[in-house]
Amino acid sequence: MKKPYVTLTVNKREYRFSVGDGFGQVPPSETLSQTLRKRLQLTGSKESCSEGACGCCTVLMDNKGVTSCMILTVDCDGKDIVTIEGLEDPETGLDPLQQAFIDEYAFQCGYCTPGIIMAAKALLLENPHPTGDEIKEAMSGNYCRCISHYTVLRAINRVAGNEEDHLAVMHRANDDVDNPIPVRQELFLSPYANGTSSGHSLD
Amino acid sequence: MSKLEYRDIKQPNYRHVGKYTPRKDAKDIVTGKAVFLDDFSVPHMLYGKTKRSPYPHARILSIDTSKAEALPGVRAVITHKNMPERWGLGLPVHRLLMEDKVYYVGDLVALIAADTLEAAEEAIDLIDVEYEQLEPVYTAEEALKEGAVEIYPRFKGNHVDNGIKYFQPDGPWWQIIRGDVQKGFEEAAYVAEDKVAFDKMPSPLAPETPCCIAKYEGGNEYTIWASSQSSHILKLMGEGRIPNSNLSVKTFNVGGSYGNKQSLMTTVLSASMLSLVTKRPVKIVLTKPEQLMAYEVRLGSTITAKIGMDREGFVRAVEGDWLVDTGAIADSVQGQVGVGLGEAQLVCAKCPNWYMDSHIAVTNKQAAGIVRGYGGQELNSCLERLMCTVMKKGNFNPLDVFKKNYIAPGDRFIWRDGRWWQSRSSLFFPEAMQNAADRFGWGEKWKGWNVPTSVNGSRVRGIGMGVIGNADISEDNTEAIVRIVPDLVGSRRASTAIIECDITESGMGTRSNACKIVAEVLNVPVEKVSITEPGSKYNPSNYGLCGSRGVITTGKAVSLAALEAKKKALELGALYFKRSVDQLDTKDFMVFVRDTPELTVPMFKLAPKELSIVGYGKHMEMFNIPSCMAIFVEVEVDLETGHTRLVKVAGGTDIGQIIDSKALEMQLHGGFGSACIDTAIFEECILDPSTGRLLTSSLIDYKWRTFNEFPPYDGYVMESQIDSFMFKALGIGEISGAAGASAVLMAISNAIGVDIKDYPATPAVILKALGKA
Repeated sequence: MKKPYVTLTVNKREYRFSVGDGFGQVPPSETLSQTLRKRLQLTGSKESCSEGACGCCTVLMDNKGVTSCMILTVDCDGKDIVTIEGLEDPETGLDPLQQAFIDEYAFQCGYCTPGIIMAAKALLLENPHPTGDEIKEAMSGNYCRCISHYTVLRAINRVAGNEEDHLAVMHRANDDVDNPIPVRQELFLSPYANGTSSGHSLD
Repeated sequence: MSKLEYRDIKQPNYRHVGKYTPRKDAKDIVTGKAVFLDDFSVPHMLYGKTKRSPYPHARILSIDTSKAEALPGVRAVITHKNMPERWGLGLPVHRLLMEDKVYYVGDLVALIAADTLEAAEEAIDLIDVEYEQLEPVYTAEEALKEGAVEIYPRFKGNHVDNGIKYFQPDGPWWQIIRGDVQKGFEEAAYVAEDKVAFDKMPSPLAPETPCCIAKYEGGNEYTIWASSQSSHILKLMGEGRIPNSNLSVKTFNVGGSYGNKQSLMTTVLSASMLSLVTKRPVKIVLTKPEQLMAYEVRLGSTITAKIGMDREGFVRAVEGDWLVDTGAIADSVQGQVGVGLGEAQLVCAKCPNWYMDSHIAVTNKQAAGIVRGYGGQELNSCLERLMCTVMKKGNFNPLDVFKKNYIAPGDRFIWRDGRWWQSRSSLFFPEAMQNAADRFGWGEKWKGWNVPTSVNGSRVRGIGMGVIGNADISEDNTEAIVRIVPDLVGSRRASTAIIECDITESGMGTRSNACKIVAEVLNVPVEKVSITEPGSKYNPSNYGLCGSRGVITTGKAVSLAALEAKKKALELGALYFKRSVDQLDTKDFMVFVRDTPELTVPMFKLAPKELSIVGYGKHMEMFNIPSCMAIFVEVEVDLETGHTRLVKVAGGTDIGQIIDSKALEMQLHGGFGSACIDTAIFEECILDPSTGRLLTSSLIDYKWRTFNEFPPYDGYVMESQIDSFMFKALGIGEISGAAGASAVLMAISNAIGVDIKDYPATPAVILKALGKA
């Protein structure tokens, strides 16, 4: 017989849910994704395909990456779950992966980003220094349609301590110009001239 | 006068523009705090679901909703029989939201609103419907044949109206008729005629499915929260469908759109009707199979054309017919046809003789809608394959031909509004193509038509290229207000600037770029500039994100608004210092005397007490600054398995001026997504002709490129300071991968030595071409 309760830890906080079909109870058919998103309002992870194909709903379960839309909450008794909301340390701030995603601009619409970050985190927990190819392989279950793949790989490679990733490069023609004369151009066609410094700065 | 050289162009050294600035919402996105529509709910909200047709064309004989209505929690069941209003769909309106007939698999049969999602889902299966199946039509060609089944009475012979007033204010325009094609073909040294189809109608497939919440507010007012990249377009289309209505549209972070989530018309009308009946807010979130099977996809496009080219490689004449399949709903397809025809003229800009006709047909497939590329990509995928046929006849190097024929300043073309425009865009597009080609190694790798670059056992490599451009980057009008808000208690660190403008964030960083541009004009840190929440009701009007116009048109409006605010601050400063405004400048919310920088005054001392310094700016539509993107691909084909692998991809453009370096780079990478390059390799919607249903209805069955399959990408970007707006930039997102599909087919043809003209070139297509299957 199933236990009448399911207990799980989410982002270091323990929750105990009553199992059943009554109002407010967790029905046996409820997925972990539904529990996290609807019951606990942890809407960071997204549910996109609902069949484990896109990785948008990826969270950590006992430090392994799982697609939470494919797991029933009643099967999670005693599990330790970490979602994207739990990755930032309240004292030390953003996880290095999160910071790398900002520094490398490793997202566009940001919908698949929480899943991608958690999948990358799962990889790094298992293997703190994966090779570039291991990273690509590990991320291949995550869907992204804006095509942030190249910058995501840069970000993960950086956290993994690998050399800079050069799968994609963008070359600016200005770098080829000999002796460029950078000027602070007249910003606009107005009679007002433009200053360069006032000694005051908020930067 | 000697020609302007690239190195002679003054390259400005901006404080923010051109550099990477982390997006304003970056931290929210990486911590999961960014709100998308499905993360949001409204009090007393109901959940909406849709019962959809299992047949591509059928009449509803009877429909029994009694069991569904009796299910606890179900609040409303609406069918064509009890619709409270007769809201229409399409441009021009050619059908109602629900009718006693269904026109595609996934068409609306009944709408359900319930207290819970589970109850709504359960109710779908409790509705009994009896259908009489009718004969379906699946291709534009069949649909336009004489005697074909007529799908809608509004479209005689399934032929959709050519052109509509909204897109062509001077009257419909759907044909390029210029010069004398007969004469053009006589002058041509090489003439080729062919037919190419890009008709698998692939899906742009945003990760977030289309979704909205509609709330009837009484009277004719509705509030719509939607995963739309343009609240303005949703409002415009929605108010056309709901007579006399006033929609207040609010948008969130959009989980990918690629032009595809704009008006969301069927979803929005469904939710609005449920809200009208229940008097409660109703949320509808499509499932992934619904998005794949019933939501908007790319146009089907087939071209039969004859192209004439002279000895030097200039296109002299184009004569042809473009057949467009818009699926079961014709919604803004005429605009897409107009843009497609316009873009054809950008690629063959030196051609004086045209007779290019177009026909749009409705079919019993899911609707084609707006998708990044907007007609241009679908046409280009066919037209550049046809150009290959004639280039091959003359044994031209395609790089030379594309460089010669692409639009240069002074060349004229007819755009989608049916009017003539003259390019005042970059001089350096051919140079950008050449330099990108050099980095790619085009010169060494090009061995001639249908000749592989290298052969390694059964693995052969080949290269191909494509060029596309778009003049939509300055389309539609936009306005903005910028307010310099001095702080209240005298600390200039608390001063801010606020942009009032209606822009959604759907991944391109437009909101942050607007802040960056204002920060540059006012000469303040970017983090001191913020922008109002997107929404149509309280913001100045902005047409939204489409046609790669976001940063250009919004940038123009906000930069002019910021400039006006700055001028006012300088004028106040001139009174304060008793000097001319010419001697003053601003920095970090201070006005200072340029020659005596120690003379400074914070703006809070200048502005009237408690008030802000306000500027207004606007952008007005024009179509005379086309962009350009050249794309180069190298593929490896396994002659035994027919499998194609991308070895290398390169892109080249002149962007005018980079606004944000990393954002631009990802715009270029975006060409792999939203059904672009891969529509030539594996991406397609596969229709089962015996049932009319798609076999590609899940993210497992619909093929997409994974992390471990991305080839090296080499982007090359020139910045020639094009006169588009204050910061001289062009938009690129829409076209970054749009010429990729035709480039891939060229590359595959060269690799295997046989011409491939079928999209996508799956192993089956390649083996068949090789005579192996």
